Amino acid sequence: MPRLRIAWVMTYVALLAMALYNLLPFFWMVSSSLKTDIEVTTFPATLLPRALTFEAYHRIWAQEGFLQYFVNSLKVSGATALLSATLGVFAAYGFSRFDFRGKRALMLAFLASQMLPGVLLVGPYFKMLSLANLFDTHFGLILAQTTITLPFSVWMLKGYIDTLPVEIDQAAMIDGASRWQCLFYCVLPNILPGLVATMIFAFLLAWGDLLWALCLINTPEKQTMTLGITNLVGQFRVLWSDVMAATVIGCMIPAALYLMLQRYLVQGVAGSSVKG
Amino acid sequence: MIGERYTGWWFVGPAGLVMALILGFPAIAAVLGSVNLGWGSTKPFGIDSYLRLWGDAEFRQSLWNTAIFVVSVVSLHFLLGMSVALLLDRPLRMRWLFRVIAILPWTMPDVIGGIIFRFIFDTLYGGINALGLAIGWIDQPVDWLGRPGLALLSVILAEAWRGYPYVMLILLAGLQAVPREQYEAAKMDGAGAWQTFVYVTLPNLRTMIVIALVLDTVWECRLFGMIFGMTGGGPGQATQNLTLLVYRHYFQFFDTAYASSIAVVLAAILLVAAMPYLRVAIRRAE
Amino acid sequence: MVRIDVLWRTAARRAVMAICAAALALPAAAQTTITYSDWQLAQEGWGKSLRAAIAEFEKENPDIKVKAEPVPLGQRDVRFSTAIRAGEGPDVFALDTNPIRQYVAEGWVRDLAPFITAAGGRTFLADFYPNSLVPVTVDGKVYGIPMNTVAMALVYNKKLFDEVGIAAPPKTWDEFREVSKKLTRSSTGSGPVDRWAFTVVLAPAGFDLRVSSIFRAFGADFLTPDWKRSALDTPEAKAAFNFIIDMIVVDKTIPPGVSQVDANGARRMLANQQIAMKIGTTWSFPEVSAMNPQLDGLNVLKIAPMPQQPGSKNPIHTTLYQKSLFINKNAKNPEAAWKLIKFLTDRPQMERWFDDNAMLSSRRSVNESYSKIKQSVPASVVANEIQYGAFLPLIPQWPQVLEVIRQNLQAAVAGSKTREQALADANKEVNVILERK
Repeated sequence: MPRLRIAWVMTYVALLAMALYNLLPFFWMVSSSLKTDIEVTTFPATLLPRALTFEAYHRIWAQEGFLQYFVNSLKVSGATALLSATLGVFAAYGFSRFDFRGKRALMLAFLASQMLPGVLLVGPYFKMLSLANLFDTHFGLILAQTTITLPFSVWMLKGYIDTLPVEIDQAAMIDGASRWQCLFYCVLPNILPGLVATMIFAFLLAWGDLLWALCLINTPEKQTMTLGITNLVGQFRVLWSDVMAATVIGCMIPAALYLMLQRYLVQGVAGSSVKG
Repeated sequence: MIGERYTGWWFVGPAGLVMALILGFPAIAAVLGSVNLGWGSTKPFGIDSYLRLWGDAEFRQSLWNTAIFVVSVVSLHFLLGMSVALLLDRPLRMRWLFRVIAILPWTMPDVIGGIIFRFIFDTLYGGINALGLAIGWIDQPVDWLGRPGLALLSVILAEAWRGYPYVMLILLAGLQAVPREQYEAAKMDGAGAWQTFVYVTLPNLRTMIVIALVLDTVWECRLFGMIFGMTGGGPGQATQNLTLLVYRHYFQFFDTAYASSIAVVLAAILLVAAMPYLRVAIRRAE
Repeated sequence: MVRIDVLWRTAARRAVMAICAAALALPAAAQTTITYSDWQLAQEGWGKSLRAAIAEFEKENPDIKVKAEPVPLGQRDVRFSTAIRAGEGPDVFALDTNPIRQYVAEGWVRDLAPFITAAGGRTFLADFYPNSLVPVTVDGKVYGIPMNTVAMALVYNKKLFDEVGIAAPPKTWDEFREVSKKLTRSSTGSGPVDRWAFTVVLAPAGFDLRVSSIFRAFGADFLTPDWKRSALDTPEAKAAFNFIIDMIVVDKTIPPGVSQVDANGARRMLANQQIAMKIGTTWSFPEVSAMNPQLDGLNVLKIAPMPQQPGSKNPIHTTLYQKSLFINKNAKNPEAAWKLIKFLTDRPQMERWFDDNAMLSSRRSVNESYSKIKQSVPASVVANEIQYGAFLPLIPQWPQVLEVIRQNLQAAVAGSKTREQALADANKEVNVILERK
């Protein structure tokens, strides 16, 4: 039918517009990363490289040690995402299915902790880490970043769990399941899209953190990628093509991760599990 | 069903403990610092920092900038995020490709985004002017980051671009839980696309929309890296927001008490403004 | 029975010998590790140079190991302050003059008196420029040792000057303005303007040194000589303020987008021949040349003293930059830390800093007698300018005062405030800041 076809054409046109909008800055970044130092700062600026070169990529790999930084970031962000997701799912289940004294205050406290800028929290946290001998370790950084990602994760996951009718839990418990089993077998599979979204979110949050990585890590080899890129922009040099190259790779890694996980962002069985 | 109250504590416990241990002490130290009771302070308890805030024109300007910035960015995020989430919810060919493209802006951390967009909006070397000059839209390089109005606009556009996949992702995941039978029923009743959206999609998505907006607002209020990297708060104070102001006073002027007081005021405003929406979200949806 | 006696005695003797050997071996095995943090460790040239020096130090002092920790300049104070407040931090670190007073006021750096006395007291300090000791001395106590001192001057591209027929660098500000108009043109002759004369650093990184030099060359300054009041209400300050804005807004001899230009941006523009002049010093030569080898910077770039305002009676007409080394209050082995500082600021290393990085020394004897410095024209010019330069105000409120001035200048350039309003606001706010505390 013509009406349906128009709808589909418009859908694809809209999607193409979205793709263009999202990709335009990346196009500029990739183009700049393939230019020489001089061409990237000529005026008038060129849209496409006149002299294509991969020297920026070569530099960040060979000279700047970015391979190590990417690995560090993957490790730290991945661990942070897993830790927040685990702790978060438990807490979210607790907040969603239970009513207890102090629940409202605790939820507010979680959110309120994010309303204070990290700037104020870095100092005292540093002190605690150094007392525990965890300064300049990835573990200390993971803990720090978890405190940034956890509150948002809890709030998001609670929202998703809330969308599941309580009847699911009731049905399972009538069948003799414990609370734990409810969580693992009934709730978790149904909020898989939400869980995936939350984990991606936590990963990206940790991936992009600068302040904590800057203050809590001193050894250059342990640096994260974000810190490494920021170091490329200094008062005594800004190698724009290098910055672009490192950022392009820095964005591709989470994108690849997302590519692997996005299949879970689909209609679960939530809608139909209540019936019968 | 309300569960056994102590079991609730067990579930929430680990997360709460982590937060309390790691964040609790610093957060309290920060609040105490704002009234001169922070550790290392040589002055007695006093609200002089808050009094100084009251008369500080720079604080007012930063507050105003933050408000404009947050309202604009969160609105744009919602518009873009909702639209794209709806688009991606359908069965599409190459859906995986569109989904990855959809999240790409958000893979850029806000600090790096600041650096990148500083370059994109650069007057002499930037892509926007290069494109504009090439297609004849402008005939002179435009000083995006040097004119106060344009600078604020540039920062808003950059962050709107970068952050909207966050809202999109939350809503997309939420859309997955909308029961398909309701869509079928609406179609059988002859509802058009807009009516389906308003009467089926929106009500089911209500909790997630509220949560997405609240979280996004909190996030944008404390946004630092993008603005710091692009304009450093300038020109003058045209793009300075409260978080930048806190950073400045804490790390550049070594005025920790004043920095703490700004932060506490910001947190208080956020809490008060978010309160009615939070009530909705704290209670379970139904 | 005798045999067992002998056995026991032998065993005992051997045990004692073993313990003695172990005890003697201990000092040789005990190694101290100290950390050295410097933003220049992250630079290509300086980093190599510093690491070579550190390697030499470790060879001369086998019981000390030095761990080099680069830190980005823009985040240096963030990292240091967080660490030192918590009782940690690098043992030895470098600072420019801006935050020294704050560090001293917070108690983060050690008083070096005992080490200096041991090294010769006054005689030890006599070799350093008296000027250079001022930033590191508070209430008569010396907290740091100066390493490199330079003065800001005018760096220009002789080739571009020749192209438009300018024979000599401008000596007065009026000349400067005329010269700038000639230098602003289109390189193709008919296209849009793509060559300008000059640029002003209005972004935070590098603003202080360069814009203050302009003010001083006009006979003005940001604060009164006693650092107690704002000096922005003097006619000279107004002249300098207006001159900068005129160049940007009226003459347009400065490329657009000036409010985002930082020190590195200015260097990049000079390297790409987008500007012909900039305020810089000896470090500009290797930095700019490295950015664009085709520029042939070492031959084409020249340096001259800042243009002056005729009739100015003030002997000071430029600003000094200095890098100094400090010991962390929390350092666990201050003696080892001092050894490193003394090593890095001794004559042989001072000569290395010039050979590798074109940086002048804070030691007068080195600047005046080292042959390579005397042979280098830029170095000699700058060394001569040191006597006409002064440091920026050394007060704890300085970073905040600087921000107020910078933001108001930016606002005036951007047009969000009129010039008079901006200057008046800056003057008022600076006084408010100075009167507080």
